[in-house]
Amino acid sequence: MNDLIIGMAGSGGDGIVSAGESLISALSREGYYGILTKSFGSQIRGGESSCRLRVATTPVLNPGGTLSVAIVLNWEDFMRFGGELPVGPDTVVIYEKKTGVEPSEVPLRVRPAVVMAVPMAEIAMKAAHALQAKNNVVLGLLAGWFGLGRQAILEGIRRKFGKKGPEVLQANEQAFAAGFEYSEQHPLGADYRMAPPVAVGVKRQVTDGNEQCAAAALFAGCKFFGGYPITPATEVMQHLQKDIWKHGGSLLQAEDEIAGIASAVGASYAGRKAMTATSGPGLSLKTEVLGLASLAELPLVCVNVQRGGPSTGLPTKPEQADLFAAAFSSHGDTVRPILAPISVEDMFGITVEAFNVAEEYQTPVIVLSDQEIAQRKDIVDAVDTSRFKLVERLQPNAQELQNYTRFRLTDSGISPISHPGMKGGSYLAAGIEHNEAGAPSSSGEMHAKMNDKRLRKLSPLLQRRDLFVVEGNPDAAIGVIGWGSIAGVVLEAVRTARAQGIDVKLLIPKLIYPIAEGIYQDFFRSLRHGLVVEQSHQGQLHRIIRMWTDVPKSFTSMAKSGANPITPGDVLQRIVHLSSGSASAPAPALNPTH
Amino acid sequence: MSTTTDCGCQPTPATYTVKDFRSNLKPIWCPGCGDYGVVTALYRALVNIGRPPHEIAFISGIGCSSRIPGYTTAYGFNTVHGRALPIAQGIKMANPDLTVLVAGGDGDGFSIGGGHVPHAIRRNLDLTYIVMDNHIYGLTKGQLSPTTPRGSKTPTSSYGSIEEPVNPLLYVLAYGAGFVAQGVPADMEGLANLIEEAIRYPGFAFVNIQSPCITFGEPDDQLKAQKTRMRKLAAEGHDPSNRLRAMELAQAYGTELYTGVFYRNPNPPITYDQHIRDRQAELQPTAAEE
Repeated sequence: MNDLIIGMAGSGGDGIVSAGESLISALSREGYYGILTKSFGSQIRGGESSCRLRVATTPVLNPGGTLSVAIVLNWEDFMRFGGELPVGPDTVVIYEKKTGVEPSEVPLRVRPAVVMAVPMAEIAMKAAHALQAKNNVVLGLLAGWFGLGRQAILEGIRRKFGKKGPEVLQANEQAFAAGFEYSEQHPLGADYRMAPPVAVGVKRQVTDGNEQCAAAALFAGCKFFGGYPITPATEVMQHLQKDIWKHGGSLLQAEDEIAGIASAVGASYAGRKAMTATSGPGLSLKTEVLGLASLAELPLVCVNVQRGGPSTGLPTKPEQADLFAAAFSSHGDTVRPILAPISVEDMFGITVEAFNVAEEYQTPVIVLSDQEIAQRKDIVDAVDTSRFKLVERLQPNAQELQNYTRFRLTDSGISPISHPGMKGGSYLAAGIEHNEAGAPSSSGEMHAKMNDKRLRKLSPLLQRRDLFVVEGNPDAAIGVIGWGSIAGVVLEAVRTARAQGIDVKLLIPKLIYPIAEGIYQDFFRSLRHGLVVEQSHQGQLHRIIRMWTDVPKSFTSMAKSGANPITPGDVLQRIVHLSSGSASAPAPALNPTH
Repeated sequence: MSTTTDCGCQPTPATYTVKDFRSNLKPIWCPGCGDYGVVTALYRALVNIGRPPHEIAFISGIGCSSRIPGYTTAYGFNTVHGRALPIAQGIKMANPDLTVLVAGGDGDGFSIGGGHVPHAIRRNLDLTYIVMDNHIYGLTKGQLSPTTPRGSKTPTSSYGSIEEPVNPLLYVLAYGAGFVAQGVPADMEGLANLIEEAIRYPGFAFVNIQSPCITFGEPDDQLKAQKTRMRKLAAEGHDPSNRLRAMELAQAYGTELYTGVFYRNPNPPITYDQHIRDRQAELQPTAAEE
């Protein structure tokens, strides 16, 4: 096999997620690629927990659909995850014998390929005299049956438990060995062993989107972060508070979301690159200050890690339903650019791009990440930072400072910006409409000119084809659009369809807003059927595209509420359906659970 | 003219006059508004401080009084309602070399922005916060403000206000501000001195200015009445290092019109901005390491 999807579920104390983390680190060292996603009940500690690990010999695009392997420590917890851990006819199901369920009576709707009851707790007690070692028994079983990095896992166990004394280390090593031994004594029947890694020796890391965001911000020259803890964005602040000082910057854990963004706007006014990060409820609170940054033309990066909403919603689950809020939740005529990463790896480049756009156009930029990209762990190649160019804001030259006009109406709409401390550059920044010099103005004529300036300056963005991924035959009659963490799903589905001979093409926008009308129009030209795949109930991108473009006659939305995974298989099925020419017939319904 | 570096700044030899700090914007305030006196007192204080205007950032919220940065030649930022303090903190953190002044009304500071005040104070950045307290919402034409006395009839309280006003002086003292003062435009010289002293205080400094609203305010609050009502704390023999006594005196807010310094911490603690410099110096790689 060269693509394996392992799903594990248990109670909080079973250490299932920790096993997943150990495994992905080991596989990274071995030379594999992978994605680890974790899912929890809403308890802060304890309760049910699960993870999915997809491992492959080539870069992994998404967490995948149906499991190749299901590890069930207890059936009740496993079943709670429903569609997040789908079992199919090809799945190998390995479960704790102590659950007392007969292999013929497992509570699954399909009959899996293999069902194995393993006395995991018993093995752990025998080998390590500790129930907590159960997760290392699981790792032993996986290493044995699926040929997954035995040496690297052992190395990881030594690193993790070495500090805890020889007894603890030995117990865990023995648990792993006992699991491995069990697998050798009980063959699965068919060979499920993973193919050896291909890209050995490439420098890579196990990382998540929030970590990449923080790293990219520092690389881009961010000197200030103001924010407030909120799931699932908090880690951005947690990473930055360790390192930003080393770069001559500072960070404020503010008293609320508003003060978080307000302090960042202040830092930007003071001439520094500044950022805030939040999730839906925080974005709602920040909108007034975002408007201030738009009117005062101050660069600012606002990262919004989407979770299920509205209100508290589903704080630990992904959704792509903050697009309307990000695009439209400002009063007045304003446009603030929205960028979205398509993977953990892409979060680095998108964050750098967000700083560049913010500084170049003196505007707030919203980065729409989501819980999955923010918190899933990916094995990625080390970032090649030499491919990024950094943009600095346009400052007034000596001559311009002789008679400085902050909001000069230029052709590009961009006017040089000074900052406190710069002699000759004093001006009044304000949320109130102003004339070119910055003096408050309530003239309708001036307001129209300034609105035009603030919108005009963003127009070069609409030509940024590099912020769109396009694949497939340009003349294809079927076109699929996906964004954010769904992009990887769509990419895999389209590639699979093309491999099956279906003529389909793909468009993945990373510039989500403003809508680059021309780029969409070019994509639509050959289409008989357009399809937008996204994780929101209303299909928000589908609707926004329709506001700005002339869409193909058949332009459908494949949208699911957050926390309901959309798999490459789901999308492929829809593409096949469209290609069979029966687009007018009802499309196969999406099953929200299995 | 003073050249002390108490404010953490390095003043150039003081060669400035009021003209250097007055912008060419004409104030929109009503004739007779107390805020005219405040801006004049501020010009005088800045002349004495002696820093060039471009090294001063002057941040305000929304309201009549929040127009004040535009009337100076400093870098001004007339922000949104209630958020002047967090924006000012971001500025000071991003560039601790600046002198950062914050201004607004009682509604901006103690109603919509009230949640930011305790945190700005406990962090203790070297900021000067000037509140022009007129006991009314002037810009929206006379509604209840957080410091409007109980019983007042306004366009939003036709039958008389049924809520207690806040006591800004007592609040900021309780939050732990290191410098707390109150002034009146009727005493221009005293007010200019208070503002100067507040800027020089190394840490968060608060000046409540009873700045009357000529259009919607009470006759008792107007400049003429202030002259007879005001009681100078210095003349009362108050020791400004006595915080408990300051709190006792502050209880009289709304009845007695005390002016002067209520409290000045005799041993100012290290400011937040100094901690930032220290941390950056400690953690930044040296040139050799790079």
